[in-house]
Amino acid sequence: MRRRAFLSGAGSVGALSLAGCLTQNGGGGEPSGTLTVATYESFVDSPSSSPGGWIKENFEAEYDDVTVEYVTPENGVTNYVQRKQQGASVDADVYVGLNVDDLVTIDATLGDDTRLFAELDRDSVPNASHVRPELEFGDPKSRVLPYDTGYISLVYDEDEVDEPTTFEDLTSPAYEGTLLAQNAQSADSGQAFLLWTINEFGTDGYLDYWRDLQANDVRILGSWWESYSAYLESQRPMVVSYSTDQVFANVDDLPMSRHQIGFLNDQGYANPEGMAVVEGTGNVDLAADFFDFMLRGETQAEIAVRNVQFPAVSDDQVDLDDSFAQYAFRPPEPVSFGYEELDGNLSGWVEEWARTIASN
Amino acid sequence: MSRGARDDVAERGPADADRKRTVSTDRTLRGLAVVATVVTALVLLLVLYFPVGLVFAEAFGGARPFDSFVTTLTDPFYTGVLAEVFARPLAVGYHVDNVLSWFGGVSVGLGGVDTPPLRKGLFGFTAYQAALSTLASVAIGLPGAYVLANFEFPGRRTLRSLTIVPFVLPGIMVASGFYAAFGQAGLLNDVLAVVGLGPQQLIETNPLFVVILAHAFYNAPLVTRVATAAWESVDYRAVETARSLGANRRRAFRDVVLPQLTPAIATGALLTFLFTFLTFPIVLAIGGLELATVEVWVYHRLTETLAFEEAATLAVLETVISLGVTYAYLRYESAQRAASPGEGPPRERLFGRARDATPSRLSGPRLAGLLDARRLAITGYAVVVFVLFVGPLAAMVLEGLTDGSGFTLRHYEFLLQRQAAGASFQTKPLPAIRNSLLFAVATVAIAVPMGLVVSVASTGEGRWRSLLETATMLPFAVSGIVFGIGLLRGLVFGISLPGGWRFVLTGAVAIVAAHAVAAYPFVVRNVAPQLAGVDPRLVESARSLGASRVRAFLDIELRLAATGLVAGAAFAFAISIGEFDSTVILASDVAGDTVTYTMPVAVERYLGRRFGPAMAMGTVLLVVTAASFVVVDRLGGRVERG
Repeated sequence: MRRRAFLSGAGSVGALSLAGCLTQNGGGGEPSGTLTVATYESFVDSPSSSPGGWIKENFEAEYDDVTVEYVTPENGVTNYVQRKQQGASVDADVYVGLNVDDLVTIDATLGDDTRLFAELDRDSVPNASHVRPELEFGDPKSRVLPYDTGYISLVYDEDEVDEPTTFEDLTSPAYEGTLLAQNAQSADSGQAFLLWTINEFGTDGYLDYWRDLQANDVRILGSWWESYSAYLESQRPMVVSYSTDQVFANVDDLPMSRHQIGFLNDQGYANPEGMAVVEGTGNVDLAADFFDFMLRGETQAEIAVRNVQFPAVSDDQVDLDDSFAQYAFRPPEPVSFGYEELDGNLSGWVEEWARTIASN
Repeated sequence: MSRGARDDVAERGPADADRKRTVSTDRTLRGLAVVATVVTALVLLLVLYFPVGLVFAEAFGGARPFDSFVTTLTDPFYTGVLAEVFARPLAVGYHVDNVLSWFGGVSVGLGGVDTPPLRKGLFGFTAYQAALSTLASVAIGLPGAYVLANFEFPGRRTLRSLTIVPFVLPGIMVASGFYAAFGQAGLLNDVLAVVGLGPQQLIETNPLFVVILAHAFYNAPLVTRVATAAWESVDYRAVETARSLGANRRRAFRDVVLPQLTPAIATGALLTFLFTFLTFPIVLAIGGLELATVEVWVYHRLTETLAFEEAATLAVLETVISLGVTYAYLRYESAQRAASPGEGPPRERLFGRARDATPSRLSGPRLAGLLDARRLAITGYAVVVFVLFVGPLAAMVLEGLTDGSGFTLRHYEFLLQRQAAGASFQTKPLPAIRNSLLFAVATVAIAVPMGLVVSVASTGEGRWRSLLETATMLPFAVSGIVFGIGLLRGLVFGISLPGGWRFVLTGAVAIVAAHAVAAYPFVVRNVAPQLAGVDPRLVESARSLGASRVRAFLDIELRLAATGLVAGAAFAFAISIGEFDSTVILASDVAGDTVTYTMPVAVERYLGRRFGPAMAMGTVLLVVTAASFVVVDRLGGRVERG
């Protein structure tokens, strides 16, 4: 541990030499400089369909002297956690694309003394007042602002199977060998589905449920895309996915009968995505302007369509595109765990689950 | 070079002008050799031992240094039935009873041998699938070596060059190719449907089988490659001698050819076992969590849950096992007498009527019939190989050329458009191609001298030699994930130095260094056995005729090891092109205009919702690398003959 303390001391000296990241916003004047936004690959990588390009273009159009620069660290936020741990500098001002479980992992790894994200002054982000309360992370250190949310549900082919309506359906003979799910260690959707089963069966019962699922021949693949492409190839008639799936199906002209949404128990597991300011950045004010822009109605509508997720702000603030409104479904009862429930539990739950699935 | 002290012999010879020039070049060469040795040691220290050590050190971070190992070894989840042995190592009687009672439960019936369940644990399962993969790779690879070494047919040389291609394909792409070929909606089922056969569900019903096939896809060509090289240098005069002394074909093969092939086959098997023991992308993509290996566990602990101590403990255990296997093999290898290089078997023509191909003394209808049976078997083998190797690749190329409705060029259009109009944060195809080729050439330039230095250093006798060689084989025994994370935490994040300075290494230099470290063991494995096989009397005569030690090495030993050097260079090239784990970590950190991503990284980045363009980029990777291998091999052939 002494080594770590030494490293972080040395690191802060090193960070100061990165002069390019230090910018000063004159009090009250037009903000200027470069805002480095760290995010995940698919948020930026397609010019026509992902939100990154649109956000950069429109934000820069509004703030003449500001440049938005994207970085997509390998393995996402865990890359920065490790940087902090080793005392290296974090080369970003804000992070876009955090889940609740990321926060829990950050705190479990870095402890109380080292901070990756700074506490956020909500008053500096006026639009933050429109965020729907049920999407708040419940972070005791209030670091994160949600900007969109997905709902985990089942997607099924109605020509092949009947609509699954309860968790018990999935372990019944009618659904044997039909379900594709994801690894809860590596896929957000997989972890959300696992948490959903913990919400349903409790910490005493979820492993039994998963044993039943395994006995009923569930197939668990590494990432959402792997399982979804297996579904598209008709390898199985049902996949754990998002309730916005039909938006993609509509864009790609795929038959809607193969993209039916199944909400178990009329529920869907909410997986809000958030953004936070990197601790120690000199661009706090500019970051606040950026967050306010992200939560503005037009931006929210654009993110919804391009990221195919629901807006984070209340409905009266957003004018959603018709096709989105028609093909994206909200579960009657959204469920999710907040920071408090996951804190201290998450890694154990996931570990036990993984051991159950892999036991050989 | 322990005999270097005798170098001054040359200087005392006749002092004519030519001799002086030779002496001064020799001095330069000797200086170069020293520099190469020092640089090799530094690169290994900085890019291999330090980063790996950094990760391994995490394993000893508990309250007491070996706690984490005790916890792991006594956990049945990891070690299966052996957990009890680790927990109570002294209770010998108890363990013997357990073994006996297990054997007591074995029953032999009509349905075969029935055994009581035996919990393998994560390590046991990992070794089990690696052993199966090795068997499959040798079974599929060896006949290929037989055909390539014993028959002449159009395109033989090119086919031989292409055996290295699977090696450069990123795991994620191969997994996609296997899905596209053998999945329910895959190419194989399309073909079967034409013939009127129902769809088969290979990946669905037997993922372990498909994982092993995918491992064979990677490693059978490796077996073919090393075995072909050995077969082509078998001393066939000995076969003729054996035949003239009355041995039949089979007997001559068993007594003369096979012993000369065994070390090469064992090398292929060892490498296959090491690679598949440390496997993870293929297992993860095809088998899922249910077929998890130790490496899958390490991967998740290191990249998702950040449980470093647990991951490092597993990684150390993995490495200990791999190094143990390597050491055992090297002891075996040094016990084998290296064969003196011969001309290889006379090649028969594969096509054309059997009678034409048969040497006149082996005439007679019975023999011709036998030969036809042999050709029939080769044809059958070719079909299997075609389905297994060309299937996934063809399926991938087709995916790049089709969309839901039929043939299209729009995925390639996407690549062109991305190249022309892509933003700075987007991945473009051309820089990826340029970087891949550039890094590969640089890797060859560094890994070949490095490998040569290590080969020379480890040429010697006995136990110490094997130990030293085992240590230099570390890159084979350490998983890519551990190596990558070590580089990330050690070099990319930087090493803090006194005075608040940080030593940070990123960009092209770091990538090439990482590739060179991953590649040089291939050079060693190809060169060291050949160096060891050089007849010392040749070197002695050169020395007695006045050649310096360096000169003798260059003119005699190096010439005789040229084949190995070329083979090693080809592998170094392949490793660099195909490397993904550390490239993606080292490349992602570079901001600004000097992008350092490579073709496999580009493929991975396009995968996601854009399957078509990813497969189009994969096809580009395939074409570029296949073309460069044919070039490398042709150039290499010139070196070998020269």
